[in-house]
Amino acid sequence: MSTVADKPAAITSRFDPRYEITLYRHVGVDGAHTLEHYRARGGYRAAEKALTEMTPTQVIDEVKASGLRGRGGAGFPAGLKWSFMPPIDGRQRFIVCNADESEPGSFKDRYLMEDDPHQLIEGMLIAGWAIQATIGVLYVRGEYYVAYERMRDAIAEARAAGLLGRGVFATEPDGEGDEATPASPGFDFDIILHRGAGAYICGEETALMNSFEGLRANPRLKPPFPAQAGVYGLPTTINNVESFCSVVHIVERGGAWYASMGTDDSKGTKLYQLSGPVARPGVYEMPMGATFRELIYDLGGGPTEPAKALIPGGSSTPLLPWSDETLDLPMDYGTMARVGSMLGTGGVIVIPESQCMVDAMANVVRFYAHESCGKCTPCREGVATWLPKMYQKLLAGLGTRDDLTLMEEMVRNLRGTAFCPLADACAMPVAASFQHFRNEYEHLVDHGAPKYPTVSRWAE
Amino acid sequence: MKVVVDGVTLDLPPGTSAIDAVFAAGSDVPYFCSQPYMSPIGACRMCLAKVGAPRKDRDGSWILDEETGEPKIFWFPNLMATCTTAVMDGMVVDTRSEPVKAAQNGMVEFTLINHPLDCPVCDKGGACELQDRAYEYGEGVSRFVFDKRHQEKHHALSDLITLDRERCIHCKRCVRYFEEVPGDEVLDFIERGGHTYIGTLEEGLPSNFTGNITDICPVGALLDATSRFRGRNWEYHHTETTSLDDASGSAIVVDGRTGRIERIKAGHHPEINKTWIDDGTRFGHEYADAPDRVRRPLVRHDGRLVETDWADAMDYVAARLTEVNGRDVGIAIRADATLEEGVAARALADHIGTGQLDHAPRPAGGVIAAGGQARLEELAVAGAILVVGDVTEEVPIVDLRIKDALRGVTPPSLFDHGAPIADLRLKERAPRHAEILTVAAPLRVDLMRHAGRAAQYPAGGERAFFHALTALAEGETPADGDLGMPLEAATAAVDGLRKAETAVVVLGGWVLASLQATEAALHFCRAVGAKPMLLGPMANSYGLELVGVAPSHARYAYGGMLTGAKALILSQLDPAIDPAVAERLDKLELLVVHASFLTATAKLADVVLPAAIGYEKDGTVVNLEGRMLPVRAAPVDAGESRDLTGFVKAFGEAAGQRLEGRSVKSARRWLKKGLGVDLDALPEHGGWAPAKRGPARVAVAVHEAPAHGGALRVPTMVRAEVLDRNPHLRAATGGLALGLHPDDAAALKLRSGDEVTVPVAGVPRRLVVRPSEAVPAGLATVPATPDEPVGLVPIDLKQIALERRALEVA
Repeated sequence: MSTVADKPAAITSRFDPRYEITLYRHVGVDGAHTLEHYRARGGYRAAEKALTEMTPTQVIDEVKASGLRGRGGAGFPAGLKWSFMPPIDGRQRFIVCNADESEPGSFKDRYLMEDDPHQLIEGMLIAGWAIQATIGVLYVRGEYYVAYERMRDAIAEARAAGLLGRGVFATEPDGEGDEATPASPGFDFDIILHRGAGAYICGEETALMNSFEGLRANPRLKPPFPAQAGVYGLPTTINNVESFCSVVHIVERGGAWYASMGTDDSKGTKLYQLSGPVARPGVYEMPMGATFRELIYDLGGGPTEPAKALIPGGSSTPLLPWSDETLDLPMDYGTMARVGSMLGTGGVIVIPESQCMVDAMANVVRFYAHESCGKCTPCREGVATWLPKMYQKLLAGLGTRDDLTLMEEMVRNLRGTAFCPLADACAMPVAASFQHFRNEYEHLVDHGAPKYPTVSRWAE
Repeated sequence: MKVVVDGVTLDLPPGTSAIDAVFAAGSDVPYFCSQPYMSPIGACRMCLAKVGAPRKDRDGSWILDEETGEPKIFWFPNLMATCTTAVMDGMVVDTRSEPVKAAQNGMVEFTLINHPLDCPVCDKGGACELQDRAYEYGEGVSRFVFDKRHQEKHHALSDLITLDRERCIHCKRCVRYFEEVPGDEVLDFIERGGHTYIGTLEEGLPSNFTGNITDICPVGALLDATSRFRGRNWEYHHTETTSLDDASGSAIVVDGRTGRIERIKAGHHPEINKTWIDDGTRFGHEYADAPDRVRRPLVRHDGRLVETDWADAMDYVAARLTEVNGRDVGIAIRADATLEEGVAARALADHIGTGQLDHAPRPAGGVIAAGGQARLEELAVAGAILVVGDVTEEVPIVDLRIKDALRGVTPPSLFDHGAPIADLRLKERAPRHAEILTVAAPLRVDLMRHAGRAAQYPAGGERAFFHALTALAEGETPADGDLGMPLEAATAAVDGLRKAETAVVVLGGWVLASLQATEAALHFCRAVGAKPMLLGPMANSYGLELVGVAPSHARYAYGGMLTGAKALILSQLDPAIDPAVAERLDKLELLVVHASFLTATAKLADVVLPAAIGYEKDGTVVNLEGRMLPVRAAPVDAGESRDLTGFVKAFGEAAGQRLEGRSVKSARRWLKKGLGVDLDALPEHGGWAPAKRGPARVAVAVHEAPAHGGALRVPTMVRAEVLDRNPHLRAATGGLALGLHPDDAAALKLRSGDEVTVPVAGVPRRLVVRPSEAVPAGLATVPATPDEPVGLVPIDLKQIALERRALEVA
């Protein structure tokens, strides 16, 4: 397992000379969402290279070599996932972009789509070429209306410019004799833009596909995995927005360049999101393996009030207590797993000392309770019904020590028993809060009032 | 594959689910969402178990455990839902260790927190999967101290099914059932999370197969409205028998209590109906207890029917029959009489010495194809199917088996514990191979929604249709218009039938009604190498034709005896609904009616003898495949009702004769001798009827008048002749329908729901107007009954009389 300490040579700092901003280069720049802006800065060169100079297998090999792991939260190696597609057999194949960014604490994909939509289109085009899918499906979270508009306009622009549609990068025959290059028919590829209707579960890949097909957004049974039976039961590969955008740079600059950044098991750069009481919350692009300290202090300007915990990768990841050891942990997949948490989407949330932990967890649970799809028993009855009621009871000052035992048992029962990871997403942070902050729960049930004042967030 | 479950080693075929491995090993895990013949979805999370498997090294050898030297078992990090896990070679399943128990216990607790636990007042109590599993796997105590979810109770999903949303545990069996089995997507989940509930659109449950969801509901959420609040499950007497509702021979379970039938549930016959029955079969039992049921024999004295007993009544019949020449006596029985009753009817005819014996309805084309016919199991795996008729109404189980073929999954092999609990080959929303199915009918029928090709030929054009298809098959160009579909579609259909390994042509009543059409159809089947499946009109049409309950001459057939005989013995038939027939019956020297109800014919009779209905008799029927199936009497109080064997026994006693067929046992002796079948040794799931027919008598075709007229008598899933005695079904269907094209209805100034009386083939029929685009302009549809078999008949729409206007909703 790699850490900053035992691998001093690893690039972990945003300030390393070998590192430059890639994914977020255009974000925050006025007018960056236009095709003109994007092309003027080398846009679609990577796609042209992939489609005209590389075979699909070469693209997949390049992505494999880069070590890119899926940026949607689970961190599955992207190149490996692409290679799971069955051999071409005449059936329609799909490349799906999961832009249903709904995890509380995550907001990176939004700006990618709002300010750099063409980067995503280019990434999907390259991925479509790699798996030989001629239809891309872009499933945008319903609440992201600006992102939707920008993507809609960008797709129209790309179509008008021949970057989507029939014969993308088609070429005429050129030269004579031995030097001649034959004509290429180009690649047929188009993107269907689909808006979600506001359900967190649609971030689960198979629920997303059901939703796209017009069905109820319940997760599907796996196997068959999407590569075997995805959209409309046809071979499908699905990735996150950030993954597609990373592919653009991997193709442009080579897998080796990408793999030179990051740690042993987590390569390249990552968009970390920082929220909570810090001086400069926001999205920061850093090499994999950067530490929390670098993110929170060097870039985020440090906490504005004393902190007691941080959530490392979006609300579903188990929180870590605030300490020097935690702050010096590199933010990569392996390290987070080792300390019992997850990198998730890289959405770091700082929890201040003044925040009642029980209340904070009640907020998290309330979210998952609202978003449970209701398909399986533990999630519908545990996550969506019982657990939020227990928190209500605790916060009303009616809880007992037995209730805490019950909640811990309930959370144990939720772990790994549900149909999809949503129940785990709720159970894990709750379990971590019990592990690190049981004293706050105990204070609440013993005194009938929380140790720290709770903050009302919703108008009654 | 070698699988070890709780220490028991099994050898199972690949593709078996782990839950079936568990049950095959004699172990147990609870489950709510899995259901035989439906896709496993892993939603209830009850069947969790600890599962592990050995792994292979890169060189292909098993990774060995260093201590034991055996292949090392790698346990899955989480407990696995066994219903969605396929067995692997060397897999180990543990259902008994502490973590498994804790998880199962936790799932029961979760499942129960929002369940009302109103078992004492719940109709499912005592037969409830949740109740059983909660006892077996639950803690017995709930730690949930909050208000339970409150949702609608007593919600009428339809006139036949009541939903209690608080009891629902969201197993999704009912929702999946509609999509997977009949393919009628009429029910779905609404809302999400803890608020999820099942519901429909405004139209209720438009499907012929809705009642099955009450069987498969693991709790008391979905209940059969006909049996709600009628009894507790442990009070019911369950009788496993065969449905006499149609020719499918579906297995049913009749639940009776204190001498009354309270409900019917689907039985399990893996090769016929699996675990499904249609709504007509399930809900159409209330007539057994109708107020006008005849419970004692009646003899006419001074113009009035007076109650008496069987001995008295039969003395009277025997005495009066001596006054008539035996040859002038006609005997007709309904085509759902059992084989044994058929023997009894033959014995009676032989004793009286008449050739005027028939069963009705008996289609001109017969119901047994020479050279064999398709079995339902063949239909379910057929690679090409042509249906001529409306099977969804005629024999609904055939419709379901066609849908099995569309899904393309072969029937599962059975375990000792029955059909696989989780057949991993079945998937939700599986693609359907509509291209293998062609459906033809003179009007738009429901199965056409699922068919790759639909043909609408002119009414009465069955013979021409098959001639045209045969011409195509023989490379000729058929006459225009006979096919009812484009030439390319017909060519594709014919090619499909010819090329398929198993091809089946299903012939409905409209084809069988005509001998010529039937012959044309069978000729076509031979031309393309397809197997015919003939849909007999009633439960034992096949058997009665086999036994030879048939006249000795064409003019002695049922229709002929109604005009020619001087005395008639009619069992369960009601020809007097036709006023012209009634007039003739009134002049007979003797009219003996064996009937369950005081029908129009019974009212004219000299003697009325109470007849047992299908649930009240023992015997055997032969279904449309030629499979002999047992009929068993439920313990029902039907007064002095008897079946025909009882009739013949009483008659023999009065006449001083021991007639063959005087009891089921006696009839079976005759069948053993005559047909070579030993019905006392009939296997549980029935046996194949012999190809050989009964001795002596030969089935003779009835005289075939050319079909003409403006009304098509159509088969109905609900039995039209008893619909008024089935209050729930009557409410659900809205009464017997007069189908008209909307333009025709408008021209007659009729609205949907208007009640009218209209003469159809001379019979005044009271019907409810149902304008429908499915009916072609210029044609009217009316429901068929045993006395008014399917086919094209005249209708006098000029004489239509409006009896009651439909209520107009502002």
